[in-house]
Amino acid sequence: MLKCKINGVEVEVKEGTTIIEAFKIAGQKIAHYCWHPGLSVAGVCRLCMVEIKGQPRLQIACNTPVQDGMEITNQSEQVKETVRWGLDFHLINHPLDCPICDQAGECGLQDQYMEFGLYTPEMAEPKVKKHKVVDLGSKIVLDTERCILCSRCVRFTAEVTKTYELGIFNRGDRSEIGTFENKPLENNYALNTVDICPVGALTSKDFRFRQRVWYLQERESICTGCSTGCNIKIYFNEEGLFRIRPVYNEKVNGYWMCDEGRNIYKFVNKENRLLKAKKGRKGEWLEMEGGAAAKDVAHHFKSLDKERIALVVTGQFSNEEYEALFQFYKKNVGNDFVYHWINNKESFEDFDGLLLRGDRNPNTKGLLQKLEDYRYEQTWAHLEENLKAGKIETLIVAGPENPLWFPDLKEKVQQWGIQLSHLIWLSSAKVQAVDEVECLTWQIPLKTFFEKDGTYVNYQGLEQKSHRIATIVPGALSLSEAAHLMAGEEYKVDMAPILKGPKKNYYVHRRGYL
Amino acid sequence: MFELSKEGVEFVKKEMQRYETKRSAIIPALYKVQEENGGWVSPECVTYLSQLMDLPEVWINEVLNFYTMFNKEPVGKYHVQVCCNVSCAMNGGRELADHLCKELNIKDGRHSEDGRYTLSRVECLGSCGTAPMMQVNDKYYENLTKESAVQILKELP
Amino acid sequence: MEVKVLTKHYDKPEYRSLEGYKKYGGYEVLKKALGMKPEEIVAQVKEAGLRGRGGAGFPTGVKWGFLPNNGEPRYLVCNADEGEPGTFKDRMMMEKAPHQLIEGMLISAYAIQSKKSYIYIRGEYMEPYRIVEKAIQEAYDAGFLGKNILGSGFDHDMDVYRGAGAYICGEETALLSSLEGKKGQPKLKPPFPAVEGYLRKPTIVNNVETLAAVVTIVKDGPKEYRKYGTEKSPGTKIFSVSGNVLKPGNYEVPLGYPLKDLIYNLCGGLKPGRQLKAVIPGGSSAPVLTAEEAERATLDYECLAEMKSMLGSGAVIVIDDSNCMVDLLKVIMHFYHHESCGQCTPCREGTGWLDKIVGSIYKGEGRLQDIQLVEQVSKHMMGRTICALSDAAAMPAISFVQKFRSEFEFYVREGRSKVKEVIANA
Repeated sequence: MLKCKINGVEVEVKEGTTIIEAFKIAGQKIAHYCWHPGLSVAGVCRLCMVEIKGQPRLQIACNTPVQDGMEITNQSEQVKETVRWGLDFHLINHPLDCPICDQAGECGLQDQYMEFGLYTPEMAEPKVKKHKVVDLGSKIVLDTERCILCSRCVRFTAEVTKTYELGIFNRGDRSEIGTFENKPLENNYALNTVDICPVGALTSKDFRFRQRVWYLQERESICTGCSTGCNIKIYFNEEGLFRIRPVYNEKVNGYWMCDEGRNIYKFVNKENRLLKAKKGRKGEWLEMEGGAAAKDVAHHFKSLDKERIALVVTGQFSNEEYEALFQFYKKNVGNDFVYHWINNKESFEDFDGLLLRGDRNPNTKGLLQKLEDYRYEQTWAHLEENLKAGKIETLIVAGPENPLWFPDLKEKVQQWGIQLSHLIWLSSAKVQAVDEVECLTWQIPLKTFFEKDGTYVNYQGLEQKSHRIATIVPGALSLSEAAHLMAGEEYKVDMAPILKGPKKNYYVHRRGYL
Repeated sequence: MFELSKEGVEFVKKEMQRYETKRSAIIPALYKVQEENGGWVSPECVTYLSQLMDLPEVWINEVLNFYTMFNKEPVGKYHVQVCCNVSCAMNGGRELADHLCKELNIKDGRHSEDGRYTLSRVECLGSCGTAPMMQVNDKYYENLTKESAVQILKELP
Repeated sequence: MEVKVLTKHYDKPEYRSLEGYKKYGGYEVLKKALGMKPEEIVAQVKEAGLRGRGGAGFPTGVKWGFLPNNGEPRYLVCNADEGEPGTFKDRMMMEKAPHQLIEGMLISAYAIQSKKSYIYIRGEYMEPYRIVEKAIQEAYDAGFLGKNILGSGFDHDMDVYRGAGAYICGEETALLSSLEGKKGQPKLKPPFPAVEGYLRKPTIVNNVETLAAVVTIVKDGPKEYRKYGTEKSPGTKIFSVSGNVLKPGNYEVPLGYPLKDLIYNLCGGLKPGRQLKAVIPGGSSAPVLTAEEAERATLDYECLAEMKSMLGSGAVIVIDDSNCMVDLLKVIMHFYHHESCGQCTPCREGTGWLDKIVGSIYKGEGRLQDIQLVEQVSKHMMGRTICALSDAAAMPAISFVQKFRSEFEFYVREGRSKVKEVIANA
């Protein structure tokens, strides 16, 4: 370990730690744009200047390793003056179009200028004109005038994805970030470049202009898009969820996440949700509250032939929910007709080499463990045979949260609708096929990961806790709650608060004058 | 579709072997492409080279756009580069460039109307002791006067 | 008086060919060197006090000493990307004596135990490129390159690489990036090239003139080499003189030679009736000297450093009183704006900004505070970037406005040049 002093704060750091990392450890502020802990050191923004005692020349903190006994400061007048000018150099050709820039409110230029800036701009010359609104395909829009050429995005496509789409063309102040001939930037990690872009140069088509970021709240969670379980931050307000970004976790996802994972927020929002419980069959549905529907199942359950019931489970739920569901099943049904619905058999073992796994479930590992604990060992083929032979009359299905990743969903539901007399369908998702089944069906709306607490075990066997954030669909149940109610138990359904917060453009509406 | 001649392809393949990394062959390959593509490198040339050399297009495009000797737009038969840096400027380099524009009918300051000449005002070419000077394609012409420069250019085949 | 050590035989056309070069003792020094221990050569170069002739003036032997002994292959790269405005000596050396360079490189490569070298020639130098390429072939054919050179057991391969137009490639790490087939952008230091250079292997980059000087050092010994020049700036150096002198050209003189003698004796002085106004002593990056300073200056690293300028590449640009300093600064600022690689923010934005401010003044649209702004912007471009291009742009800017402030102020106030007025009146 090495000892050093950062702005007078003594810290101990590991051998090989750079000064900028030591600043972070010491909790000291330091201006920087090009440095990113997940990428190589570029050393080009020249903002992280520090003064090291005994060295006349200022050094950049990102490329200078800490040595034992070093005394480092960025509080001296020389450093402050340098950084003030450094920021001005960044801004002289920047369009300063903050009012219409999607990055406003979370922009490195705004934040760092406020902290370290010069406040008396000297630039009186016309700015360099560059390309604006460059369409980089389905996900990203590029504004090269806003770009400060930190090269983070270029390094990302070269070092992380190794797809080499982005480059910096031309030289001097004519330099521009871009893809060759504006080819689309479509790799499955492309939106990370939007995250790491410190300014509004790269913006996400999915997110831009939908919300001003200061109207959003953010909370951490776990991505349920595949068995990797990337750590994420969810941005939402009372209108719903708007985007997802990765949160650093050294053991799981590092600094990144895939673009498909970012889409999971869409399955939490109301548009794609089963909003009410329903009982009935095609054309004859009776809407009710989720809890009432589960109780109705409990009521009906007594009359069913227990030997002709089976349970289908997907890997989409938490450990706690599997436990509650299996407890319910053991006590109230008792047979071992419990089947694991694997959504995409052919690609289940796939891995893209970075983060995305073919197993598009957050908790397959947890499910398998529970199945083993309860000695549920039946194969899917066994279910198919029994269905065909008419031995199963009632199927309880703990279905998908995200129907996109269940390509056989429609086909299976249709088949069950014909083969069964009762279907108890538990899912958070709106699924058209279920509305069209002919057998007597209970559709019970479930909560998504955003609305409940739970533990997920990722592909490595790492347990990660996901916390309830808010309620999107008021009457929805967790699978545990549904299980208890279906067992006929008195059970208080726990409801997270419904989202409340400032409305979009609240201030404008309130004042009415802006 | 642009394609290199057989000799051109062989040249590029040889250059890819010549240096420690095949990436080093990008500059010589671009020179070859420029030569065979009538003096400039088009985007489709970049795509072609990327496939031929099995290197990302963006690497080639970065190099193409960084160095001034690669032309990103068509040029005339004679690319006349007049040095306008300090020593040449002090000895009439800039006036020479203006004069050539007039004499060679280069109205937009870039291309003569007949397509024979393209004129660029360039930075120091390392011929400061013999200013003013110009480079026409590969060749240097030094100690010029307005008259001698015009004569040289008009006498080119 | 010129002292022709390096350029002794440059007036003989046959010196360019291998036969001609050998006629005047060519490759004899290589034979001698191969009989010495590599360390001895390094020691001699150190003792001779040879300093890099490309611009920075770093002691060559010391640079060689930075190579780590880690068993990694080492590269020697000759920097022939001569681009500093005002400099045209390397071009002459390659055209007139390509074998002198090759011999110097071979001796240096042997000294640092490198098996592979490159000569990186700027793209515009097509003629030198052809000459050097041909000379390398001749050297291979004669057994001076390749395996087991002159039976010494020393193997060495040499190749030439052509740049494609970028001033920045004269910076050694940018040159290495370019040699790797990338944009010519300087690399972050540390690590320095001696530790991690070409393809991240230990690499020494030396200028053409530096490498050629190694031949004379090994030939005559360090003592003889030190006969010329000053204590701290030993040896001779080729100066490229351009601008307003009657006989511009390359002149080899001992370091410490008076600048005024170079201008008035060797170069024939100024045009009749003209007065000396200023001199840029070391290429356009060097701070300008006033006429008064130029009268006192000697051409060595120390004197010019004392005058807060630099010897640089030895490009002496002589400016007489017919020139407008605002105009010249505009030309120089345009150059750095054009050549900044764009990596580091202060340089990328600063060079463009300076170009625009000086351009505004030149167009008669300047404000009085712009003169101070040039100084401020320049100040904050210095010592803030990966390489020295930013400083190279800032230094002339500061020196021009400080030393010729009244001319700039006149221009701002009147919207036109003071000089042209003076000339018109005369």
